[in-house]
Amino acid sequence: MNLLLLGASHHSAPIDLRERIDFSRRGISEALAELSQIRDIAEVVVLSTCNRSEIYCASEDQKNLKETMASFMSSFHDLPESELVPHLYSRKNAAAARHLFRVTAGLDSLVVGEPQILGQVKDAFAIASDDGYTGALLNRLFHWSFGVGKRVRSETGLGEGAVSVSYAAISLARKIFGNLKKLNVLLVGAGEMAELTATHLRAQQVKSIRVANRTPSQAAVLASKIDGEAVPWENVTTQLISCDIVVTATGSLNPIVKRSHVEAVMKTRRDRPLFIIDIGVPRDVEPTAGKLEQVFLYNIDDLQSIVQENLARRQSQVDRAELMVTEEVDRFMIWLRSRAVIPTLVALRNRFETIRQSELLRLKPKLMSLPESSRIRIEEITRLLIERLLVSPTEQLKAAKNKETIASYSDALNDLFRLLDEQSDDLEEIESTSTSRPEAPSSRDN
Amino acid sequence: MNILPFVFYFIASIIYAVYFIKQSDLVGRIATVILVSGALAHTFVIGMQYVQVEHIPFAGTTGAISAFVWLLALAYLYTEMTTEERSMGIFVVPLMTILQIIPTITNNVSEPPAVLDSPWFAIHVSSLLFAYASFALACVVSITYVLLFKELKTKHLGVFYKRLPSLQVLDVMNGRAITVGWLFLTLGLCVGIVWLTQIQTNTMDPRVQAMSILDPKIFVVLLCWLVYSFELFARHAIGLSGRRSALLSTFGFIIVLLNFLPIGYFVTKSHNFFY
Repeated sequence: MNLLLLGASHHSAPIDLRERIDFSRRGISEALAELSQIRDIAEVVVLSTCNRSEIYCASEDQKNLKETMASFMSSFHDLPESELVPHLYSRKNAAAARHLFRVTAGLDSLVVGEPQILGQVKDAFAIASDDGYTGALLNRLFHWSFGVGKRVRSETGLGEGAVSVSYAAISLARKIFGNLKKLNVLLVGAGEMAELTATHLRAQQVKSIRVANRTPSQAAVLASKIDGEAVPWENVTTQLISCDIVVTATGSLNPIVKRSHVEAVMKTRRDRPLFIIDIGVPRDVEPTAGKLEQVFLYNIDDLQSIVQENLARRQSQVDRAELMVTEEVDRFMIWLRSRAVIPTLVALRNRFETIRQSELLRLKPKLMSLPESSRIRIEEITRLLIERLLVSPTEQLKAAKNKETIASYSDALNDLFRLLDEQSDDLEEIESTSTSRPEAPSSRDN
Repeated sequence: MNILPFVFYFIASIIYAVYFIKQSDLVGRIATVILVSGALAHTFVIGMQYVQVEHIPFAGTTGAISAFVWLLALAYLYTEMTTEERSMGIFVVPLMTILQIIPTITNNVSEPPAVLDSPWFAIHVSSLLFAYASFALACVVSITYVLLFKELKTKHLGVFYKRLPSLQVLDVMNGRAITVGWLFLTLGLCVGIVWLTQIQTNTMDPRVQAMSILDPKIFVVLLCWLVYSFELFARHAIGLSGRRSALLSTFGFIIVLLNFLPIGYFVTKSHNFFY
C-alpha cells in the first residue's frame, strides 16, 4: 500500500484560486464519496482550510492516480485543469508523511506554529473515518501526525507567544488581570485597529465595551458592530474610573489622555490596575502616565516589539522542529515498510504450521498410547517451538530499513522454505501475533 | 532518618528549578512526588519525636523550625494541588531546604519542662507555626508578584512573564494567605495570653516570669500582628492591593524570620525553654 498526497496551499496558489478549490463549499463528505469511487483509491482523507486544500489517499497502484485525482479536483470545483494543475503539488510515501507531519506541527502554516491547524486536521480525519473512508494506513498516519503536532509544540517553543499586535495586547491583559470576564473596556477612537482589538476582546467575553469617538455617529456604528455601548466623547476621562482596559486609537495630533487625568482617576480606583493600550500614531496617551503605580501603558511600538520577539523565537525553533519531523517520518516509514513483509511472514508461519500438523498426524498412532495430558503437552510444546523459531526472522524482517533488504530477505525465505505456494491474504493474523512492530510513542494516540 | 526530609527537600528544590526552566509536565510531576515523599518522611520524623518525648516536639526553637518547614510543605502542596500551579516551587522549596538544615544538624529533642505540659501550649505553638507557614507562602507569592510586576512595567517580558500566573491571581493568593495567617496568629496569641495568665501566678520559672510585652520575642510577634492587621485592614478598607500589598507581606515575613531565628535563639529571655 502506498501514500499519495495532492493539493494546493498558500505556498503554491493565490488566494482567489484557493477560495475556488475550498472543498467545504460543496461539502467534504460529497468529495470523499466521489473520491472513494475512484478504482485505485483504498482510503482517503480530505483536508480543507482557508490556506490549503489537500487529498491524502492510500492505494495499491499509484500509476496515473495523480492525474486522475487532479482531474477529479478540476471537475469537482468546476475549474479548467490548465488553470488548476500548475498550482498543485503532489507527494508520495515518505514525502507525503513528511508534508502532513509538517502541517500538523504548524511548520507549513502562514504563521509558523499557529495552533488551529492541528484541530483542523483532526476534524478532517474525523469526517473521513466516521464515514468509513479510512483504513489501517491512513488511521495510523493521521494519529501519528497528531502525536507529531503535540510533540513539536510541547518540546519546542514553536507555538508560544503572541504573533499579532491585538493578540499580544490580549496576552498582556491576561497576565495582568487573569480572567477578563469581569472587566470593562473603553475604546477611544472608532478606527480599524480599535475595531480589531475590540473584536478580540469581545471574544474573551469581557463584561462591557464602551466606545467613545469625536464623531458620535461613528462611535454608535462601532458599538453596534461589537455589541458595545457608545459613550460621549467628553466623558472619556470619567470612564477611566470604571474601565480596566483602555484602547486608544485616534488620529489626534495631541495626547487625549494626559498623565494628570490618569493620576486623578487612580486615586478613585485605589490599587485596581489600569491597562492602557495606545495604538494611535501619534500617541494618544502621555507616555509619563505609564510611570504611575498600577498603570500599565503599552504603545504600538511596545506591542510590535513583543510580536517581533515572539516571531524570532518561533523561527529559532524551526530547525529543532524539522529535525523532530524527520525523526518521526523515519519511524513511520519503518512501520510502513514493515507492512510489505507481512505476506512473506504469513506464508512462513503457515509453512511451519503445516509441517507441524503433518508431523503430528504422522506420529498419531504412536502418540495414542500416551495419556491425554501428555498429548496436550506435546501439542503445546510443538506450537511454542514454532513461535520461538519465528521470533527472530519476524523481528529482522520488520526492522529492515529499505526496500532492497526487504526484497532480498523475502526472496531468500521464499526460496529456502518454498513459500510461494503458501502465500495467504490473511495479513492481520501475523500483525496481531507480532511483538516487534515499531510502536508510535504513547503520547501520539488521542 | 532525621536527614531524610532534608535530602528530599534538597532534591525537590533542584527538580523544581529544572521544572521552572523547562516547564515539562513530567519534571513537574516528579518534583511534586519528591516533595510529597519529603513531607511524608518529615511527618514520620516528627511522629517518632512525639513517641520519644511523649509531647508534641514543637517546643524548642529547633523543633519549631522543623514543624514550620513541615507545615509550609503541607500548605504549599495544598496550594499546588488546588491551583495546578507549580511555578512557585522554585521559591518555596529552597526556603524549606535551607531552614531544614537547622533541625537536621542539631537533632536534639529533649523532654519539655513540666510547665509546658498543657493542651494550651499545643494549640498556641501549632497555631503560630501554621500562621508563620501561611506568611511564608504569602511572602513567596508576593516576591513573584513584584518580579512579574517589574517585567510588565518595564516591558521586558522574560521568564516570569512566561512562567507565572497573572498579577491578579498572585494578589488573590497573597490576600488569602495573609488572611489565614492572621487568623491563626491571632488565635495563637490569644491562647498564649490565656495560658500565661493561668501559669504565671503559680510558676516561679524565670522564663515564664519573663513573658511580657518587653520581651523581644513577644514584642516582635506583636509587631508582626500589627503589620498584618494593617495590611488586611488596608486591603479591605482602602483597597490596598498589588505591589504595595506584596511589599508589605514580604516585610511582614522578614520580621517573622527575624523573630524565629536570631531573636528566638539568642535574644529572648522568655521563650528559650530549649533549642
